[in-house]
Amino acid sequence: MKFAHMADCHIGSWRDPKLKELSILAFERAVDICIEKKVDFILICGDLFNTSLPGIDFLKRTTKKLKELERKEITVYVIPGSHDFSPSGKTILDVLEEAELLINVVKGSVKDDILKLKFTINKKTGTKITGLLGRRGLLERSYYEKLDKKSLEEEPGSKIFMFHTALSELKPIELEKMDSAPISFLPKGFEYYAGGHVHIVRDETLEGYKKVVYPGPLFPANFSELEKLKQGGFYIYNHGKLEFMPINVKNVFLLQVDAHRKTPQEVFEEIVDVIKNHEFNNTIVLLRIFGKLKSGKPSDVDFKKIFTMIYGKAAFFVMKNTSKLISEEFEEIKITASSVEEIENEIIKENLGQINTSFSKNEEVVAKKFLEILTTEKKEGEKVYEFNKRIKDELDNILNLNE
Amino acid sequence: MIKGQVVSGRFGEIVARVKSDVDLELGELLTADSKAGKVLLQVYDLVYSSQISQQNLELISGMNLEESSDFEFMDAKLRNYELALLKSLVTIKPKKVVSSKSLPTFFSEIKEITKEDVTFLTKPKEPLFLGNLRSGTRDLNFPVFLPAEKVFSHHVLITGTTGKGKSVLMTNLIWDTIEKESCALLVLDPHDEYFGRNKKGLKDHPSKKVCYYTSKNPPTGQKTLKINLKCVKPHHLSFIDFSQPQRQAMGLYYKKYGDKWVEAVILEKPLNVDFNEATISVLKRRLLSLLDLDFNDTQVFCEGIFSLNAGETIISDICSELESSKTVIVDTSNFSGQTELLIGSLVASEILRRYKNYKIKGEIDKKPVISVVLEEAPRVIGKEILEKGSNVFSTIAREGRKFKVGLVAITQLPSLIPRVILANMNTKIILGTEMNSERQAIIESASQDLSSDNRSIASLDVGEAIVSSNFSKFALPIHIPLFEDMIQKQKKEEKEDSSIKTVFSGVKL
Repeated sequence: MKFAHMADCHIGSWRDPKLKELSILAFERAVDICIEKKVDFILICGDLFNTSLPGIDFLKRTTKKLKELERKEITVYVIPGSHDFSPSGKTILDVLEEAELLINVVKGSVKDDILKLKFTINKKTGTKITGLLGRRGLLERSYYEKLDKKSLEEEPGSKIFMFHTALSELKPIELEKMDSAPISFLPKGFEYYAGGHVHIVRDETLEGYKKVVYPGPLFPANFSELEKLKQGGFYIYNHGKLEFMPINVKNVFLLQVDAHRKTPQEVFEEIVDVIKNHEFNNTIVLLRIFGKLKSGKPSDVDFKKIFTMIYGKAAFFVMKNTSKLISEEFEEIKITASSVEEIENEIIKENLGQINTSFSKNEEVVAKKFLEILTTEKKEGEKVYEFNKRIKDELDNILNLNE
Repeated sequence: MIKGQVVSGRFGEIVARVKSDVDLELGELLTADSKAGKVLLQVYDLVYSSQISQQNLELISGMNLEESSDFEFMDAKLRNYELALLKSLVTIKPKKVVSSKSLPTFFSEIKEITKEDVTFLTKPKEPLFLGNLRSGTRDLNFPVFLPAEKVFSHHVLITGTTGKGKSVLMTNLIWDTIEKESCALLVLDPHDEYFGRNKKGLKDHPSKKVCYYTSKNPPTGQKTLKINLKCVKPHHLSFIDFSQPQRQAMGLYYKKYGDKWVEAVILEKPLNVDFNEATISVLKRRLLSLLDLDFNDTQVFCEGIFSLNAGETIISDICSELESSKTVIVDTSNFSGQTELLIGSLVASEILRRYKNYKIKGEIDKKPVISVVLEEAPRVIGKEILEKGSNVFSTIAREGRKFKVGLVAITQLPSLIPRVILANMNTKIILGTEMNSERQAIIESASQDLSSDNRSIASLDVGEAIVSSNFSKFALPIHIPLFEDMIQKQKKEEKEDSSIKTVFSGVKL
């Protein structure tokens, strides 16, 4: 059994078109490597796309690569992730599955409020694959709570479990505020646990769970990830051996300056010195300036000029992060949460119990579901009144107003 | 029901003649009238008395035993009887209850206590249920509560001989605390007895506010206890008797190698200062054993609960759960005592650090009181260990209440805990204790005067306790209900809504 395990491709992520392009480029490269390495099948553990309805250009290029895999008889197995899942259950993944370009393995049946997952069998190797999707705010937790683990554990043969959930035991310290679930929710005794959602590269064995793997993103999704990971990648599992396949779509250069007890001019000069001594051809340059300035304020550093100089040396893209750059005159503002989702969760938690509602007992879950539904975008071709009705119906469902 | 009559004595030592057909017990609660109101009395000793001289009593006994005579007294009930020694607990006035400062009326009748007599024992805000009020061995079926937030922040001592019900009491207290928003408990469980893996336990609480960490086969939804080696800092090991040079070496390794200091010690990486070879060897050996590590020339391997990759956020997760008023149980049954205390030390230090921060920022009022439940407490707050230096638990005992962090110390040997710490434990729940030295240690540090209760404490049966607390008007005799009864009671009160079905959207059914 030889397969590729990727996750968090986030095709169409990044606001800037140049970086957006890199997310699809990374996916295309990854597919090329899989074909070259002749894998039996590919697992994509959530967030293939950055939204449930990606832009047509990205969809077209993704479809093309999936078609290429289909011709080579390399089956692609996916689970929806927190980005490409839709509360209505309908995502572009459904369309691609209908076109037989991939298989969503999140299938099962419900009896007495217990979820029994079905295995999808890879014809080439006989490997049995199943898994659970990921949702924003860890809403998939209730699925795990109702999961019939025993039937999955008793199934004989070589088995893979796909998940898009942060595991508490493997969460890195910088993501400590991220919602997570314990590994005990997963069924035991599988050959491989293919994870996604947490952008870390990790291969760990815990009691009862061997090969619990997170491959990280195919391409870093934000400044800190670029800074930390520099590049994305995925794993190839070949008869028990795991090999990480890095995908280097662009070089990344980190220009870091400690501004402590320096003037804006001194900081500027220090950056200029580094720029003079380096070439940035086709490179993503990350400017991280931190510390407390001796005088002046962060905006006194002439970043416009710095950017011009870096682009002048043929850099592909320049980004700066001055969130930890402060001046004597200004008080430090501490930002504890690092993503929109975390900030939302923090705010929900802070405001729980403020008002009495019919759903007071499940306030946190209901609030998260509300937020999830209200961020749903109108589908292409969907009329405004249809979109309004769909949202209203979903909200009514949560509040049980339809009963 | 009249039980006797006050016949003599003095304040704190009132003598009552017991009615002959009445069975009066040690610890029984009684009432008598006084000019100031109704006085609540408690029996602390019982003695025989007779109208016949001791010499004659012995003669009559001799006749009965040696000569098989069948000697009987005339008016036996009047000639021979019992005297009860009573102490005043409180005086119940029409609108308030005050400490007794006067005697009950001479020759006044003493009566059996009724529920109406103790209605002044009201239910505080965020009540902590301790048990039912007890009079002697009789359960009065009158629930006794103390204010949970105050009790836990001002430390609790639970003491009693093995088998007297300490674990049942603790399980009940945790069960009752789980739903409280103002309190959270961190339970270090060396016997894995509280969660109830294979029996009824705290896992059965309907609130889902119990988090369980274990290194062995965690039940679904509970977490594997894995702690990243980076979390361990030299000051967490303060309760272990390292020598001064060893401590200095740890400090320097930490300074040079940061959170990779343990690996640096094991791999004997260089320091800027020279240490005796033996010092480093012993330190390395002790760390290997304590943290269950192994190594080769270049690498350290983790064998036990400590890990190089996993468990980076576990301490932070536990603290966050506690801050959200959840109860966290850490199963330490698979580890040595020192490893257990190291885990406790890691979490307790982080809690204290966070709460000190909240206090500085003025956010402490929004946070729940966090109390650390410690079994065999003298291991960390005993005289012997504290002579070698303080640790986070002794710091909590001394100053934790200012930061809303408390201790629940469980022990059968309170005499091993320094008096200054015992005095800081403002609620003591005393179960049956046979050893006089242990009883004396409790009596001397109790919140109420228990000097006459030595015998009562010795005679406490399984499930009986005396609660001496700064937050009660007198030392409360209680009967501890069985845990199964607590669960049953809650089940009756709660009706589970089974009509709510999970919607598995996104799953192709």
